[in-house]
Amino acid sequence: MNGPQFDQITVFDREQVRRNRDRAAPGFDDVDFLVRESADRLTDRLRDIARLFPAALDLGCRTGLLSDFVTGMNGIQTLIQADLSPGMAARADRGDRPAVAADEEWLPFAEESFDLVLSNLSLHWVNDLPGALIQINRALKADGLFLGAMLGGETLKELRDVMALAEVELRDGLSPRISPFADLRDAGALMQRAGFALPVIDSDTITVTYGNPLTLMQELRKMGEGNAVAERSRRPLGRDILMRAAELYAERYAGPDGRVPATFEIIYLHGWAPHETQQKPLRPGSARNRLAAALGAEEQSAGEKPNGT
Amino acid sequence: MSENKDQSRQVDPKLLEFLVCPLTHGTLRYDREAQELISDQAKLAYPIRDGIPIMLPYEARQLDDD
Repeated sequence: MNGPQFDQITVFDREQVRRNRDRAAPGFDDVDFLVRESADRLTDRLRDIARLFPAALDLGCRTGLLSDFVTGMNGIQTLIQADLSPGMAARADRGDRPAVAADEEWLPFAEESFDLVLSNLSLHWVNDLPGALIQINRALKADGLFLGAMLGGETLKELRDVMALAEVELRDGLSPRISPFADLRDAGALMQRAGFALPVIDSDTITVTYGNPLTLMQELRKMGEGNAVAERSRRPLGRDILMRAAELYAERYAGPDGRVPATFEIIYLHGWAPHETQQKPLRPGSARNRLAAALGAEEQSAGEKPNGT
Repeated sequence: MSENKDQSRQVDPKLLEFLVCPLTHGTLRYDREAQELISDQAKLAYPIRDGIPIMLPYEARQLDDD
């Protein structure tokens, strides 16, 4: 290979993410319930915003199902779809909604070209999330909106728990088997660091039940969400660990009907590319009325004041 | 290779207006014959497969200096 070299700290193996998704592309419709549910909720949030977005981008489009939801909404005239996986991009291509293979870590979009960027459950595989958000912000026109849904820290907590237990029991240590997810409390700071104005963050939980834990693991792979943690290959996951984890999962989490739940936390990110017309906090000291007057209280000195005033 | 592509599989011109080189953010040249998007600055050619531009730096063809 004589392509460009990329040196950075990597949690995720992006090549593996792409391979996982390429493999998942043909049969994705059978396992798209989570992505579809999240797309539906994201669409509700978009519907609540009384604004027109002529040029829009769906980043991490998979089979293009979000585009089917939002077409015709909020004055969207052009909708570009992008996915890391060329296989997914090919499936998303709808003629009037063209698709491109693009890496969230290396966005190929001109600055200030979109009124709206949507992203549905794709950013959890990005190594440099602040960097990706900054790039999204740059691709937005001034006063453009970023509306994203991202898997949060509570996602797959049951599976994470039993995999760790099984591995500690059967080996002498832990390997990262399940992707680390961003926490809700980090998300707001991330949006602010990326320069988004008026960021709003909230989260939702979706609990899906499965006949047994192995079906869950199988379905995750079919969704293209198999392990892509860069360190994963140091110690391959043995069948014994898998079977023990499945046992523990059923023991600890199965309901009365024997089915097991899997939690997915979805964090919704919502922020605007800065523009001068947006509301901002007032300059300190610019108040025209006294707080005491507004409260009808008598103002009392707290003692010493700076500069002797 | 310059086999005739099916008209329906041509890249959407609307899409090309949005694209820049992901490495340099410089403009791209569309080579219709080769079905490639060329970044002269980065000396890379991004392939277009069945009308889908593959804008992944590690998938791009490196152009020789000449």
